[in-house]
Amino acid sequence: MPINVNRIKKMKMKLKIATLFLIYIFSISYVNCQAKIIKTQTPPRPAGQKDVLQLRCEPIPTVRIAFIGLGMRGPGAVERMTHIPGVEIVALCDVLQKNTISANKILAKRGFPAAQEFYGDTTVWRKVTALPNVDLIYVATDWKHHAQIGVQAMKDGKHVAIEVPAAMNLKEIWDLINTSEKTRKHCMQLENCVYDFFELTTLNMVQQGLLGEIIHGEGAYIHGLQPYWDAYWNNWRMDYNRTHRGDVYPTHGLGPVCQAMNIHRGDRLQYLVAVDTKAIGNPEFIKKKTGKEVTGFRNGDHTMTMIATEKQKSILIEHNVTSPRPYSRMYQLTGTKGFANKYPVEGYALEQEMVGNDIAPNHENLTAHKFVPDSIRTRLMKKYRHPIAKDIEDLAKQVGGHGGMDFIMDYRLIYCLQKGLPLDMDVYDLAEWCCIIPLSEISLDNNSSPVQIPDFTRGLWNKLPKLEFAK
Amino acid sequence: MDNNFSSPELPPPVRAVGQRHVLGLTSDPLPKVRIAIIGLGIRGTRALKRLPYIDNAYVTAVCDISYDNIKRSVRFLKSQQLTDTKVLQGADAWKKTCELPDIDLVYICTDWKSHTPIAVYAMQCGKHVCIEVPAASTVDECWQLVNAAECSRRHCMMLENCCYDVFELAVMNMVRQGLLGEIIHLDGAYIHDLRGRLFGSQHVDNIHWQLEYFVEHTGNPYPTHGVGPLCQLLDIHRKDQLSHLVSMSSSQVGLTGYAMQKYGSNSAEALKPYLLGDMNTTIIRTQKGKTITLQHDICNPRPYERTFSISGTQGFARKYPIPAIAIEPSAHRALTPSKTRKLIENYAHPYVLQWAEEAHKLCGNRARDYIMDARLIHCLHLGLPLDQDVYDAVEWSCLTELTEISVLSGSLPVAIPDFTRGDWNKFHGS
Repeated sequence: MPINVNRIKKMKMKLKIATLFLIYIFSISYVNCQAKIIKTQTPPRPAGQKDVLQLRCEPIPTVRIAFIGLGMRGPGAVERMTHIPGVEIVALCDVLQKNTISANKILAKRGFPAAQEFYGDTTVWRKVTALPNVDLIYVATDWKHHAQIGVQAMKDGKHVAIEVPAAMNLKEIWDLINTSEKTRKHCMQLENCVYDFFELTTLNMVQQGLLGEIIHGEGAYIHGLQPYWDAYWNNWRMDYNRTHRGDVYPTHGLGPVCQAMNIHRGDRLQYLVAVDTKAIGNPEFIKKKTGKEVTGFRNGDHTMTMIATEKQKSILIEHNVTSPRPYSRMYQLTGTKGFANKYPVEGYALEQEMVGNDIAPNHENLTAHKFVPDSIRTRLMKKYRHPIAKDIEDLAKQVGGHGGMDFIMDYRLIYCLQKGLPLDMDVYDLAEWCCIIPLSEISLDNNSSPVQIPDFTRGLWNKLPKLEFAK
Repeated sequence: MDNNFSSPELPPPVRAVGQRHVLGLTSDPLPKVRIAIIGLGIRGTRALKRLPYIDNAYVTAVCDISYDNIKRSVRFLKSQQLTDTKVLQGADAWKKTCELPDIDLVYICTDWKSHTPIAVYAMQCGKHVCIEVPAASTVDECWQLVNAAECSRRHCMMLENCCYDVFELAVMNMVRQGLLGEIIHLDGAYIHDLRGRLFGSQHVDNIHWQLEYFVEHTGNPYPTHGVGPLCQLLDIHRKDQLSHLVSMSSSQVGLTGYAMQKYGSNSAEALKPYLLGDMNTTIIRTQKGKTITLQHDICNPRPYERTFSISGTQGFARKYPIPAIAIEPSAHRALTPSKTRKLIENYAHPYVLQWAEEAHKLCGNRARDYIMDARLIHCLHLGLPLDQDVYDAVEWSCLTELTEISVLSGSLPVAIPDFTRGDWNKFHGS
C-alpha cells in the first residue's frame, strides 16, 4: 500500500498548529494581564467630505507667500524662497519686531521689495492668514502654534506648509485633515529630510526594486541640542520635553522610511510600542545652568518606538536630544535584495545579481556580506540619483539649507503649486508621521503597551498603488 | 527605582529549603582542568583545536552522536599525539561522558535543544559545565539550569565569546573607569546573513536542526552575542536587573525567498512554513531605567554586525560598521579612526594584554574564543568565580522564549524573571 505523503504532511501541520496554539496560551500567563493593545478613535468622515489623496488645485503661476514665525528656521526659508522663480514674499510675521525687520533685510539684500510686517503678540498671525493677497502660508513658529495656524490658514482659503512636527496631538491632526478635506487646500509638513541626497537616491533605488522588498526600516533624531537650547523663544522646546514623555520629534526619522514603504499607498502603520530611559541629561543641563534641582522631568533621554505595518514590515524610530554622541538620523532600510545605511557612513550592500555590468564590471566579486566599495557606491548613487534632484542639485547645494535638502523641499513645493500638481507630501503623511508624538506617550504611560495607529485616510490607504512624486 | 512596571509574571519556582544562590561562587582550585567536549560539530571542533594549547587545560574525553564527527576528531587527536583522550560515540554517549570520574568540566557544543539537558545532568554528576550559546531555549530550561547549579554548587557558564573581543573588552575597561559616564542606552544585535550556510551543502548537520527550529519559532532565537556584553556593562544582577521587554518581528520572506531561488518554488526547502520573522527588534528596560535594543536577522543581504553601541552621560562608543568613540566635551563628533585605535590600545583590557598574542597566533580573528577559554581555565585553576555565572547564562538565554511570546502576542510587554530570586542587588562584584 502506498504511503499517503500528503496525509502525513497534513497531520504534521495540524500538530504544529496545535503546538503553536499551546505556546500562545502558555504565553498569555507570562504577559502583563492588564496589558493589551490600546485602541484609538477614528472620527467618521463628515457626510459630503472627500479625501485629499492626490489633491490637485488651480495652478498658481506666481506664488504669493506669507511667513509666520521668523525665529530659527523662518529666516532661512525666506532667503531660500528668493532663489526660486515665480515667488512673491508679501508678508512677514513674528511675535518680535526685530525678527520681521531682519527678515525684510534679507529681502532687501536679495533685491526683493519689502514685505508687510506683522508683529507684537501671539495672536497677530490671524491678520496674516486673513490677508487677501496670499496663496501660501509658511509656518515656522513654535510647535504649539503649528496646527492652530495651519487650520485657520486653510479656513481662510490658503494653502499651508508647516514646519515639523506640524501637529502635537490627535485632535490637532484630525483638525488638519478635516480642514484640508473640507477646504480642498494643500496642507504639507515641511519635512526636509526626505529630500536629503542619500535618502532621495535610496528612495529611487527602492522604487526601482534594487533593494527588493523592504522589510525593516529605521530612523532617528539623535542630536545633542545643548548649543541651541538658549535660542528657542520662551524656552518652548525644553519646556515641551519637560512636560511630555515620548518621541516628540519623530518626523525626520520616520518620514523617509514611510516613503520607502509606500505608507498609505498600499501599506499602513498599524500599531506602535515605545520604551524610554529615565531622564538624566536634560535635568542635569537645567541644573547646571540655573542651579535649580529639577524634579518630574517627563521625557527620558532616549526614546525608542517600534511600529508594525499592515503588511508586517517593522520600523524602529529613536529620539535623543541630550546624550553626548554624534548626530544621527539612522536612516536604514533592510530589503530582501539589498541594504542601505546612512550613519555613520553612507553604505549599500547588494545581492550580486542586483549590480549590473555598468556599475561593476566584475560584479561577481561583490557580496552582500560587505558594503560595496566606495567607487561602486559613487557609481550607484550617480545612476540612481532621484529625478527631482537631478536638475536642481547644483543650485540646491549653492543655496544650501542643511546642505541643500531644504532648498529642494521648497523648490518642489513651489513647483507643484505653480503647475497645479499634487504635492510630494500630503496631509495624511503629516498625520502618520506626527501621530507618533501622542501615541508613543500613551504607550509609555501604559508600561509600553502596544497602541493602535488610526488609519488617517479612513479606509483609503490602499487606493494609491505606490508613492509617486508629480512630474 | 523609578519605574512602576507591574506585570504579574509566573511566580518563580520556589527555592528549595537549604538551597542558596551561587552569586560569586568559588570552588576548589584545580591543578589540572580535565575537560570532556560533547558535540564535535563546527564549534566543538574549534574548541578541540584550541583547548590543548591553553595552560592547565587537558581534553580527556570527546563525545559526539555522529560517527563522522568522531572520526574527524580522532584524526586530529592523533595528529597532535593526544592518544590518551577517551572517545565516546552514540545517542546516549553524552550521559556516559558526564558520568566519567576523571572529568572536571563538561564543555557542551551540541545543538541548541540538547544544551540544557546535558548541562543539568553533568552538574548532577558533579561536573562544572560550560555551554555554547544559547544555554537554554525556554524559561523552564533556564530555571532547570539555575536549580541544578544552586543544588550542585557547580559552575555553569555560557560560552558567550563576544564578551571577549578586543573592542568590547576595551569599552568595558573605559566604562569601569568612568570614561563614558553613566551608561543609559545600549544597542546589540546578531545580524549575519546565514542563508548560504543554512541552505548550503557544507554543513549538512545544520539543515536538520537550525532550519527546523526556525519552522517552530519566531522572536529572537539567538540573543546572547548581542545582549551579553551589554548586560555586563550594565552590571545586570549585580547592581541592576532586566525588568521587561517588548518585541516585534517583520514578516518572513528571506528564508523562503532564498530557498525558492536556490532550489525552486516547489522544493521542500521553499515549502517549509518558516515562522521566524526576518528582522526581530526587541527593546529591554532595566529596573534602573536603562534600555537595550536587540536585533536579529540571519536571512537578508546585510553586512555582519553586532552593533555594540553604548551611550553614556559622558561619551559614546560603537563597534559597527566602523569602530567609533566620542568623548565629552566634543562628543558630537566621533574621534578619527587613528585616535579611536589609539584609545582602544590605551584602554586594552588585562585579558587582552595577557592572552591576545597567543590567541591571535592560534585562532586568528577568532581570538576571542581563545581568550574566553583561557580566562575560564585560569579561574577554575585558581578557584576564582567565573566571569559569567549561571544567572548571566539564563538572563541572556531566556530572551529566546520571551521575545517569541511578545511577538506572538502583538508586542505586549513581557516581564523578565529575576533568576536570582531576590538576590540581584546583594552581590556587587563584576
